[in-house]
Amino acid sequence: MEQVIRTRGLTKDYGSVLALDDLSLDIGPGITGLVGANGAGKSTLIKVLLGLVPPSSGEATVLGLDVIRDAAAIRARVGYLPEHDCLPPDVSASDFVVHLGMMSGLPRVAARERAAEVLRHVGLAEERYRPMGGYSTGMKQRAKLAQALAHDPRLVLLDEPTNGLDPAARDDMLGLVQRVGQDFGFSVLVTSHLLGELERVSDNVVILDSGRLLRASQTRDFLDATGTLLVEVIGADAQTRMGHALAAAGVPVQARGGLLALDPAPELGLDVHDLIRDTAFDLGVGLVRIQADHRRIEDVFADA
Amino acid sequence: MPEQPVPRTGASGVIHDLGYRPYDGPRNGSGTIASALFLSGFRNAFGLGRSGKSKVLPFLLLALNLLPAVIIVGAMTLFNANELPLGYARYASATQILVSIFVAAQAPVLFSRDLRHGSIALYLARPLSSAAYAVARWAALLAATLVFLLVPIVALYVGAVLAELDFSEQTEEAAKAALLAVLLALMLTGISGLIASVSVRRGFAVVATIAVLLLGNGVVTAVQGISDEQGELRVGEVAGLFSPYSLYRGGTSALTDELFLTPPTGAVMTAAYFAVMVLVGIAGLAGIVLRYRRIAGR
Repeated sequence: MEQVIRTRGLTKDYGSVLALDDLSLDIGPGITGLVGANGAGKSTLIKVLLGLVPPSSGEATVLGLDVIRDAAAIRARVGYLPEHDCLPPDVSASDFVVHLGMMSGLPRVAARERAAEVLRHVGLAEERYRPMGGYSTGMKQRAKLAQALAHDPRLVLLDEPTNGLDPAARDDMLGLVQRVGQDFGFSVLVTSHLLGELERVSDNVVILDSGRLLRASQTRDFLDATGTLLVEVIGADAQTRMGHALAAAGVPVQARGGLLALDPAPELGLDVHDLIRDTAFDLGVGLVRIQADHRRIEDVFADA
Repeated sequence: MPEQPVPRTGASGVIHDLGYRPYDGPRNGSGTIASALFLSGFRNAFGLGRSGKSKVLPFLLLALNLLPAVIIVGAMTLFNANELPLGYARYASATQILVSIFVAAQAPVLFSRDLRHGSIALYLARPLSSAAYAVARWAALLAATLVFLLVPIVALYVGAVLAELDFSEQTEEAAKAALLAVLLALMLTGISGLIASVSVRRGFAVVATIAVLLLGNGVVTAVQGISDEQGELRVGEVAGLFSPYSLYRGGTSALTDELFLTPPTGAVMTAAYFAVMVLVGIAGLAGIVLRYRRIAGR
């Protein structure tokens, strides 16, 4: 499988700060989440990949092109959404995306068509003709995403696309990121300092810590089922009775918020699902759900 | 086996969601991209392609700058004058306040805006190198400044030709003025562009540019006036090397019959004036290119 991004021993030394430390990565097609705390080296990695910042040592290729020798060719086929504000307030999203499409090498007519198309895809309708200064943060992020897609890139680098968004707008943006990766067929590298939001959209997750690779693997590897079952019944009183009954049957059980967490108990030699169903029936409580407890990406840090 | 009836949809009234369509048309190279950036910058310098409000200042200044030329041409035809009351090359000196305001106000449009709003990051993430970006922006400001300086010269020239002044003499004078306008535009673009690319705030860039251009000229003019009175002409000639407008006056004195205070005398001093004009222009461009290279590496 062709690697979209490949780095070997990549190091970036800003004098006093070591932003990237001997980083070797292989990132394939699909959506890859790049996770790390602020200052972990995410933005520096993106700038090196765009050929804007030369690495101190090591090498990196993007779409098979070398970041030092072929920087212009990389930038022609990569879309970039910066972390900070980058929209002039007195220009409309429509004009701005057309202009930036031309700056990526599209002829004027094609840039117009593409701008209309990508603005429709990111969900900016009539407001695309208004100056961007009056946009909400969510609309600004959409306009920033549109300019990154304008020239039909093969890879998009999204630096904190959900930064500053409220929960609803955050969900919308993550949905868009997912569409860009799955329906549009682009490779996507999306950064975040929040681990939780990337487990939903990304196929792979790379975790950086102080410029070093902490872990890189498929998202589902992070989310392996732990074997614990979560049970919800209606009513706090019913929950207490249910908990006592299950404990009496020999299942290690703890209350976790409004749920009961049942740790695996293989020595009982019976199906815990059946036991839960029968106990609920015997007690006459309303059983809402039984679900497997998945790990969260955050747990990786707890383990490390 | 019975044939399955094929469901038919009407030819009209159906909305198809086409989904995402990739682009497989032509893509331009760096040269075409740079010229597109130059063109949009040139238009932006006059407020074209921007809000209605941003067209007011450049066109007002352009009109004010043209007004004396129109009046001169009108008066010349009225009184059947046999020479222009204000020479082509002297015109830019007479309207230097307008010229200064124009470059001071419009250089930030091309250089400060992208820095202030962060959109420079979007340009740098595209195929053009930071140097190509800087040169395209610089060329746009140079072209806009040239238009500003050349429009009144053309107006005067057309008026002079229509008033049937000596054609070859007028053509020669106008051509010299055009050459001097190029040198002046190079200096003004280099200085105002460099100041605007260093300052993120537009107001600071405007004030700093006007201060450098007009206060610098004021100081030099004062030194030249004193040296003229004291008979120390050489001091005034050297002082003239330190401001764009005094350099322009020196160059004008050397090429035309126009008289200014302490004009450069001798081949070496005259050559120095022209050399400094070109060097200021080159240094300004080099400064702008270096400035954007540093921004790209951040």
